[in-house]
Amino acid sequence: MIETVIRPEIALNDFLPIFVSSAFVLIFGAFYVGIYTAVKVEILKKWTMPFAYLFWGLTCYMLYIMGSLMHVGEFTAKALVVAMIGYLMLPHAVYYMQHRVHEENEH
Amino acid sequence: MANKSVWSDNRFWQRSAAWVTGFASVLLIWLTFDTSAQISMGNDADLKNGVTKRVPGPTVINYKITYEMDTKRGHEVPVIGGKEKFFGRDDYSEEEAGALLHLGKLGSQAKNCMDCHTLLGNGAYYAPDLTKSWLDPAWGPEGSLQAMTGKNTREEAMAEFLQHPSQYPTHERMMPNLGITAEEAKGLVAFLKHMSSIDTNGFPRNFGKIQGAVHGK
Amino acid sequence: MANNHLTSESKQLATWYFTFAAILFGAQLLFGLVAAIQYVMPGFLFEIIDFSIARILHINALVVWMVFAMFGSVYWLLPDETGIETVGIKIGKLLFWIFAAAIVVVVLVYLLVQVGPADETTIWFITEGREYIEAPRWADFGIVVVALGFVGNLFLTGMKGKQTGIVTVLMADMIAFSGLYLAGMFFTDNISVDQYWWWWVIHLWVEATWEVFVGAIAAYGLITMLGAHRKTVEMWLWIEVSMLFGSGILGMGHHYFWIGTPEYWWEIGALFSALEPLPLVAMFIHVLYDWGKTQGEQNAQGKDVSVINNKPAFTWFVLNAFGNFLGAGIWGFFHTLPQVNLYTHGTQFTSAHGHLAFFGAYATILIGMMYMGIQGSNGIKVMKNTKASIWAVSLITSGVVGMTVSLTIAGYVQVLVSRAQMGATWAAYFDGQSGMWFTQAMDWRLFMGAVTFAGFLFLIKDFLSTGKDAQHEH
Repeated sequence: MIETVIRPEIALNDFLPIFVSSAFVLIFGAFYVGIYTAVKVEILKKWTMPFAYLFWGLTCYMLYIMGSLMHVGEFTAKALVVAMIGYLMLPHAVYYMQHRVHEENEH
Repeated sequence: MANKSVWSDNRFWQRSAAWVTGFASVLLIWLTFDTSAQISMGNDADLKNGVTKRVPGPTVINYKITYEMDTKRGHEVPVIGGKEKFFGRDDYSEEEAGALLHLGKLGSQAKNCMDCHTLLGNGAYYAPDLTKSWLDPAWGPEGSLQAMTGKNTREEAMAEFLQHPSQYPTHERMMPNLGITAEEAKGLVAFLKHMSSIDTNGFPRNFGKIQGAVHGK
Repeated sequence: MANNHLTSESKQLATWYFTFAAILFGAQLLFGLVAAIQYVMPGFLFEIIDFSIARILHINALVVWMVFAMFGSVYWLLPDETGIETVGIKIGKLLFWIFAAAIVVVVLVYLLVQVGPADETTIWFITEGREYIEAPRWADFGIVVVALGFVGNLFLTGMKGKQTGIVTVLMADMIAFSGLYLAGMFFTDNISVDQYWWWWVIHLWVEATWEVFVGAIAAYGLITMLGAHRKTVEMWLWIEVSMLFGSGILGMGHHYFWIGTPEYWWEIGALFSALEPLPLVAMFIHVLYDWGKTQGEQNAQGKDVSVINNKPAFTWFVLNAFGNFLGAGIWGFFHTLPQVNLYTHGTQFTSAHGHLAFFGAYATILIGMMYMGIQGSNGIKVMKNTKASIWAVSLITSGVVGMTVSLTIAGYVQVLVSRAQMGATWAAYFDGQSGMWFTQAMDWRLFMGAVTFAGFLFLIKDFLSTGKDAQHEH
């Protein structure tokens, strides 16, 4: 049997939500790393840290909306999940390394 | 005092950068070899034997081209059909067709087409995309553009328009006169017909859907 | 610019490059205005300076002023980084004049000859007709010679003097940058092959080598303007290089969705372009981090003054970090996945992204470097903002953002009307162009373009006068 796959059409009404949600993926993503960094270099108070993680959660949600409206395939969906977990860890790793460099050079 | 860790060692990061860059470059070069083979131009024998090439040979101008939904791939693809006359002939040899295409491609660059139009979607956005312009119903038998130029075939209508664009305004925004000669116009139309036969993975989507003329079904 | 405070010839040469770049920046904006007017009034200069000619000049002036400012930036930072005078500076100065003269000839031919017959002489002497690299073949060879001379100077200086991390990155980056230009110097009848290699030049410049260049310049700026720690900054730089090249080189896939190339580029393009915003986020944190850290240390020592010794330059550098993320990151991510790109490819979306990304990622930091040139030329220790510098940055930024928003709206109309509904025919195209939202968006784009130009005038006023302003600390 020949498999017939017609690439799913994006509904006309879905274009706007796609553009808006993809913009928010990056905006919320920037808030997450921005707040995280700002807390670490003591520009912001410590109690603001949960907001950083809140923004990470919002980033994931926006990416989910975008992906489902765009009808991304199964492979892409998995790649996006991995990307979000990587994104969660990224600033932690970066800050850890920065910290080590400073320790070694200044103390 | 902390021990020297690998994570804070500049040499480690320097090497990582070199490795990552090298790896990505090698992968790109490898893919380039594969892609180059797939997008190299076909020849007359391929067309005669019905071998599908992503970029067919120049003698594709001897054939009828349509743009049809391929259910297996899930998007439209150009389909090369039976013979079709192009400026009254359907027996252009490989050399003749190649020379026309060469003239047309040179012309497309010499007249800066891409600084108003898009070709394969790349260029400027001041004028219509030309990727599948050969298939545009407007140039067809019932099309407004063919009627306007008073010609009886697609190719003659397009060539006439290219030589005297400002005589045939389709919008307040007009194409300027670029001094295109009759021979250059013929080459340009051959170039456009050839371009419409390139497999662009379904770009543009739904070409001519409303006018219903091209794939229609 | 008065050069009496500059003892280094390399830095003097840098100011020449900056000056010529600023002039070309003005030309870019002027021809951009002509093209914007033509969208609103199509009869404007019709068959005198057609849209195609105005646009060639608009985008070529853009590329060339940025290349000039990049060369200038390298000549500026070389003596600081290597600790010695640039090797081969006499040749460097000669090449500057050759380069500038060639540009003037090319521009005059674009303006006065415009198009030629469909044969090789046109390609050699008038235009190659390939977007961004229209420069005729003879000029290509000139550019290669100039670039080789520049790269030679950089290498000889780097090897003779102290080869810092920043210099090493620049050496590797500039040789790739120059070498890639060769990929755009041949003619082929096969448009798919043509476009394939054309993207090697365009994409690998603006989404790989130029971005790395910006990373290196930002690193230099953070060290000189903030006194950030070299070791930290250079480590960041290496990480950024890995991320930029790691995502950017194969991110090329997103240009290979629809030009006749095989379908596997969809997956490659989607995957790597989804990664492309990450280094831009990293660069953003980089600036925030170093600023916070050095200011924090300063405050801890009880000195409650700003650590920044060049306010206007630093303003443009911060804008760069932000603009790179917004323009290249967000506006790029908008339309990079193949599912959506099928509809947005070749619409005003691309144009919106182009405006914000070139401005955010490159114009900002290069203007910042020009300010550092003015600071050095006038022997200023701490440079402050003037009224004109604040007007310039505000007007230019709001102008470009305004243009971007207008073009995005125009692109949205095109996607819905010309693409999703009518499918990219001639009639579909003009139906989209005639929509009320589209035409109004184009009116706003023109207005915002004029705002940008007003900002440019303030910038030039500031460039010419701020050196003598008494408020700076000498």
